[in-house]
Amino acid sequence: MVEAVKRALNKISVEHIKLELLGTAYNSSSTFLGRLDPRMLLIWYLFFAITPWFIYNRTILLGMFVFMVVTTILSKVSPYIVFILCLGLVSQIGWMFLLSLFFGGGAESLLPMLTLTLKLSVISLASITVFSSLDPERLSDGLSALGVPDAFAFSLSYGYRILPTLLEEFHQILLSFRLRGQRPEKHGFLYLRTAAYYLRILVLVFYPLMLNTAKRSRTTVEALETRGYTYAVNNPKVKKLRLSYLAMQRRDWLFVAFTVVYIGLLFPLGAAVPNLLY
Amino acid sequence: MSTLKTRYTLTQSQKMMIFVLSMSLYGLSNMFTELIPSIQLGPIELSVEYFAFIPLTLCMLFHPLYAAVGAAVGEVIFGELMLGQFGGLGELEKFITFSLAMYIAGRMVSDPKNRRQVGIAAISGVAIHQFCSSVIDIAKVWVGVEELEAVQGLAESIVIIEGVGFLNDVLFSGILFALLPTMYLVPRLYGKIEPLLGMKPRERNMQYASGSKSWLSPKLLGGAILLALIAMGAELLSESGWSIGEFELPGAESNEGMLIWISMLAAAVVAAVVLTVILRKASRRRQEAGQLDG
Amino acid sequence: MDKPLLELSNVSFTYPGAEHPVLLEVSFTLQQGDFVAVIGSNGSGKSTLCKCFNGLIPHYYTGDFEGELKLLGESAEGKRVSELSRHIGYVYQDFENQLVRPTVLDDVCFTPLNYGLADYRERGLRALELTGLSGLGREFIWQLSGGQKHLLALAGALAMDPDILVIDEPVAQLDPQHARQIYDILRRLNEQHGKTIVVIEHHAEFIAEYCRSVVLMDGGRLRWQKPVREALTSVEELLALGIYPPDVTRAALLLRPDRQAAGEYPLSCEEGRAWFGRRADAVSAADSDSAANGRTLAAASAAASPGTGSYAAMEAAVSRAAAEPIVRMEQIRLSYRTIHKTLQPVLGGINLELYAGERVALIGNNGAGKSSLMKLIAGITAPTGGTVQVKGITVNGLPPERLSGMVSYVFQNPEDMFIDDSVRGEIAYYLKARKLADMDERVEELLQSFRLLELAERDARLLSGGQQRRVSLAIGAAVRPAVMLLDEPTANLDISTKQEMTRVLEALRGHVETVVIATHDMALVAEWATRIIVMSEGRIIADGDKETVFSDGQLLRRAGLAETQLMEMSRLLNLPQICSSLEEFTAMAEWRKGELIYGGSC
Repeated sequence: MVEAVKRALNKISVEHIKLELLGTAYNSSSTFLGRLDPRMLLIWYLFFAITPWFIYNRTILLGMFVFMVVTTILSKVSPYIVFILCLGLVSQIGWMFLLSLFFGGGAESLLPMLTLTLKLSVISLASITVFSSLDPERLSDGLSALGVPDAFAFSLSYGYRILPTLLEEFHQILLSFRLRGQRPEKHGFLYLRTAAYYLRILVLVFYPLMLNTAKRSRTTVEALETRGYTYAVNNPKVKKLRLSYLAMQRRDWLFVAFTVVYIGLLFPLGAAVPNLLY
Repeated sequence: MSTLKTRYTLTQSQKMMIFVLSMSLYGLSNMFTELIPSIQLGPIELSVEYFAFIPLTLCMLFHPLYAAVGAAVGEVIFGELMLGQFGGLGELEKFITFSLAMYIAGRMVSDPKNRRQVGIAAISGVAIHQFCSSVIDIAKVWVGVEELEAVQGLAESIVIIEGVGFLNDVLFSGILFALLPTMYLVPRLYGKIEPLLGMKPRERNMQYASGSKSWLSPKLLGGAILLALIAMGAELLSESGWSIGEFELPGAESNEGMLIWISMLAAAVVAAVVLTVILRKASRRRQEAGQLDG
Repeated sequence: MDKPLLELSNVSFTYPGAEHPVLLEVSFTLQQGDFVAVIGSNGSGKSTLCKCFNGLIPHYYTGDFEGELKLLGESAEGKRVSELSRHIGYVYQDFENQLVRPTVLDDVCFTPLNYGLADYRERGLRALELTGLSGLGREFIWQLSGGQKHLLALAGALAMDPDILVIDEPVAQLDPQHARQIYDILRRLNEQHGKTIVVIEHHAEFIAEYCRSVVLMDGGRLRWQKPVREALTSVEELLALGIYPPDVTRAALLLRPDRQAAGEYPLSCEEGRAWFGRRADAVSAADSDSAANGRTLAAASAAASPGTGSYAAMEAAVSRAAAEPIVRMEQIRLSYRTIHKTLQPVLGGINLELYAGERVALIGNNGAGKSSLMKLIAGITAPTGGTVQVKGITVNGLPPERLSGMVSYVFQNPEDMFIDDSVRGEIAYYLKARKLADMDERVEELLQSFRLLELAERDARLLSGGQQRRVSLAIGAAVRPAVMLLDEPTANLDISTKQEMTRVLEALRGHVETVVIATHDMALVAEWATRIIVMSEGRIIADGDKETVFSDGQLLRRAGLAETQLMEMSRLLNLPQICSSLEEFTAMAEWRKGELIYGGSC
């Protein structure tokens, strides 16, 4: 436990988060999927995020799952994220299964739940594929092209801008608390005292941070005003100009065509062999 | 030149400030809570679910709508997208229930100096959010598992898991990371943080911003309820699609192929409806905001 | 040059809820092609005035506004900030907050893109070129140095190709070399590209060198607008308002008070060389004790300033021989990982010992490794190689909670140290956490010695810059550390507050054994330090007392630092020693202009 806390605190190290998060966020355009048109990818995602809910044919779901695994590999997602995803799915379904056994269910209750897992996997993998392939700029442009409010698109890239600054400031204030504070002498039962000390500081840091961030937001919003942000928001022409670089290219059409053909083939197959696996 | 006399008006920029403030702070905290390890005791997870005190505090001190939406956006951006854990549409329901719960909590407070009021509002905010997400989670399994009733004990176990999760989140996270910090922060920040944004503090029992009708108007409450409906709808509407399928399923095996196409069509329609409603809502909100500025 | 670009007539403004107007019947004309400095003490309305130009006042800050603004001959009434901003670029004092996009190119294109200009990319690239940032387009903003960020903020404003550029304190956070770089760019923009430039500036030396005219604000009124020479030679008037003209100009006033009316004072060292000469009877302070005494008498007003030069060096030498070092660093190396997964060395092979009673100035330009070195001593960062010992205890690897009794580190930004809601709370925090018995007396004592008694119950964040610094020093002193490390204690302060800082540093005596200051403020170094360590590119390139370091002009330039005017004058006039205060200088130099014509040629 204490190791875990230490590890977590180390992760909060400014440099680490900066490098890991921002580095990976902006390096995604090197993958195949990362070069595709963001609008197309988002619509593609919508399809795979919604339809699995309505499909109970295991063959079709399995086919989708295989497709998703391939795209996930193509998008070079970090194994860590996939691991977290699997862990989440397994533990959720696992507990459900154990409890249902307790309520008198049997092994047969496992099958419907496997189907649920399959659905959730397809959906999750689709979202991982798409959202880790798109760098923040392309994602926000894609969303904004599909009509998501500009404020969201702006906030997205502003988030990436301000995160290092916020982390830096957080780090400094945390340091101030720790330099002037006193850690409990004894760790207490299950390291509870130490954990409580750190959690308390973590909460308290936000008091000064709120005040400092308030000051910062004021200048930022004022500067946005002088930099024509409100002008842009009220001018649809600006949005067009900003998004003018988005264009469907050959590889986009190919990708769409492949998906359509694959899914198109999957459905008759599913109808013919509904119980391919179980 | 015009001198603006209405003092309690929030200008467009002030709303933006609240939004940016709430987004960055809650987003940052979300990043940490994602990284803090949790203690797993069987199906019960003792975890720092979220630092709800940040949006709660801001909702109570400032205009709750912008603070609430800002926090929800912050969560999506910092806690999900940046950490590569974005769940896509699944986040939508979280987004809506969370901002709704925070908004309601903010509206419950009329006097930020009254600790009791602040405390009750804080814990209610968390409870509303956790309740909504539990209901949605249950609904998800309902939709996702074919013939739920056929499986012995599944329904009960889901309800138990969600119920325990709800209690844990409200009693553990809710008290430690929403109730106590909010009660500590709100009175302390009141009157201090507002001038930093160039605003006047919320007055006691002050009616919302601009003192204009628009905040209490049925339009807004209606909007809130509509948002809640969309949240439920995103999950539940699909259930109806499923039951249609089920009704006809025993009909004929050979029909299955066609049925799938029908359900896919239904899915597409649902998706389209949900999207347009959300987009409309957003643009309407923007216009509303614009009108408020005058 | 004659066309009025912008005209304010009879403008008054009161912030909402404020009692007094912050601008009072201000009329002001900005001529095309001008380079204007706006000066005035804190709260005189300088920033408010500039925020009227692009309509931030009254559109953004709603308040009571009267008067009229004309831009390019047209009334600005009814125009929004975003419309007016097309013609006016604004660079904030806290410019970091005006950079809103993750990467450099994105940010610089942001404004033209917002205005829907199809050539936004070309505009952005050209602005980067004008500010010398070409090639950095794909970098993240957080990878830039402070100076580069400032240039980027400027580039963002330039991308719109505005007629007017307003820059609020362009050099407050920069070392002298980068400051000069900014002003050189501004001059080029002004002379070659015809931009009209308005700066809010405290540093009279820059005003003298670069600006054409000066606007003096006082209590919300525009007192006058004069050509730069006329403005800066009104030495007494400016001093009365807490504004400090260049050192040479002030020296001239001390030597020949009668010439002020004629405006015949030098503004720069170049001019000073023709105006002043070495006094025949000038003797170095180091030469004899009697001369030192004489100087002390002459400098009666500077009595508060510490015993300077060789005296202190001797003291230090004595204590060095007698005692163990307080801080010992052996073969310290430090490097950090970059985004490209390579290692970037910050410090290489540092060996250093600090002793009790020393007042150490750590100087060098931005990025020389000063802060890193101090963080190592403070135990906040761990070295990649080598050990750091404070009072015989190895500090690398200790948790911060265990460090504080030994070392205290005062951050550059005081706000990062404010964790409580009152000044008293801030100072007491450490003592309270340790439940020390004499807590209340110690807090009172500190409040007293840092003159914070009246401010004790206020929130430190809402204090002025100078007051915030005092609080941060008191917080550091509350720990009663062996070593106190101060990171740029005079950054972002106006000159009069800076001078006050030197006195505040005196208050540390008795609380702290050794004080280390990282700074590029040479005036502070000259007045305060007993030992100077010069750093450049992660190495210590010189370590010695004032005389040794300052007499080597080359050394400072190599470290990216600039001499103060007095130092430069001392060297130019071949004075027996490098002077650090006006009193020293006037005791050794004399007025020559118009009396000894032969010496006047350069």
